[in-house]
Amino acid sequence: MLPLPPGGWSELIRDAAVGAAVSGLLAVERKGALQLMLSRPLVAGTLLGLLLGDPQDGAAAGALLELLFLGAVNLGGSVPPNETLLACALASALVPAGRALGHGADGPLVVLGLLALFPLADVGRWLERRGEERNSALARRALERAQAGDPAGLSLHLRGLTGPFFTSAALCGLGTLGSPLLAWAGAAMDRTPFGAGDSLFVLVGLGLAVSLRALREARAPKVALASALALGLLLAGVAP
Amino acid sequence: MKVPARARARVFLRSLFLQASWNTQGMQNLGFAWAIAPALEVLYPDPKARAAAGARHLEFFNCHPYAAAAILGAAVRLEEEIAAGAQGPAASTALKKALGPPFAALGDGFFWLALRPLASLLGVCGALVWRAPGAFLLLFAYDLVHLPARVWLFQRGYDQGPGVVEAVQRLRVPRATALLKLGAAALLGGFAALLLRGAAVEHGLALSLSTAAAAAAAWALLPRVRMGTLVALAAVAGLALGGRFH
Repeated sequence: MLPLPPGGWSELIRDAAVGAAVSGLLAVERKGALQLMLSRPLVAGTLLGLLLGDPQDGAAAGALLELLFLGAVNLGGSVPPNETLLACALASALVPAGRALGHGADGPLVVLGLLALFPLADVGRWLERRGEERNSALARRALERAQAGDPAGLSLHLRGLTGPFFTSAALCGLGTLGSPLLAWAGAAMDRTPFGAGDSLFVLVGLGLAVSLRALREARAPKVALASALALGLLLAGVAP
Repeated sequence: MKVPARARARVFLRSLFLQASWNTQGMQNLGFAWAIAPALEVLYPDPKARAAAGARHLEFFNCHPYAAAAILGAAVRLEEEIAAGAQGPAASTALKKALGPPFAALGDGFFWLALRPLASLLGVCGALVWRAPGAFLLLFAYDLVHLPARVWLFQRGYDQGPGVVEAVQRLRVPRATALLKLGAAALLGGFAALLLRGAAVEHGLALSLSTAAAAAAAWALLPRVRMGTLVALAAVAGLALGGRFH
């Protein structure tokens, strides 16, 4: 029997609808519209956590992904891994799974979710490339209509937003509906000898190194080390 | 003929959707043409002339999406002159070709590689200190700078045309970029100190040291080893350590 949230399948379906709609909007915001950074993993994870019933779990998963994807940027025509799709899918699956287990998304559950869903970042990149190729056809059609004397063809532009919305919504909705499997695996993990301690900290260590590299500044390692030592000594002096 | 403020405001609002149809051939071409359309409606009442002007803007264009606001503003000014016959239609192509690459480099460096990491790290620190509500510090720090910058760039572009380059040069953006990156590095160091101390206090010195060791090992392996591989290794190592986040 798969673990389900307290409200059963009806609650899970409602969560999937909410997660899908918000994830679709965030996918659009990531590149096609506004770019206010609502789609960054930290904000997306927290927002979805808030809407699905546990903002703290969403923020914890989002913060980890924020560190891991600090350097994921569109420079020129490059397409980085899609950190927003991963963050939305992870939060959409983790929060209901944590509620199903009754204790929230603990370390092993986050790590299992990340392992299972991490390939979505590359899937998202592949989907983005395909979308850009489809958009080339939109631009060609707009040009043909403009050359034929029809200025209204320019409004084809907004159709480019539909692809990211629907693919992200579908994948994240499926993530929520698949969350009982994650909850089942998480419960199984708790029964193994590896069920104690803090499994997230190794990933956080990796996140620190990735973030430092992402700054692309020669003096950054020295400044970060000096800052860490200064604050460490200060904290040791205040509360040894 | 001047483009009225209301039409210019519509052009600016449309610039927030510049990349909706980003494509591999013309990149932001359709976005640029769609964004400038409200100004073309005013300047070219005849649909055929308007379509011809729109087609002109469907040529290749790519820039940083925020910095492109300056070029869009300058292009509106230039279209006023083209419609009045003071400039030839080729002037808009020349403007975009001349300003696109330098503004792209400036925007990428400042917004993507400096302001965004700094705001992200502020958000992560905020989440560590104030839990979930602290995460929204990212939005506060980023949007407080980037939204006014977009408005300013568009307005300056319209007011000064190609002269917007001098206005931006006076801002000393490269120096601000370097300072923001160093600020982000200092913040990252502070975050690491807080995190390692928290791990030592709550879970023992061994966990704190293993986190620091993981960071040092990852630093040495990146970028030779793919991040996906490192994430898988770190996740398996984390599960082997075993653990609960709470």
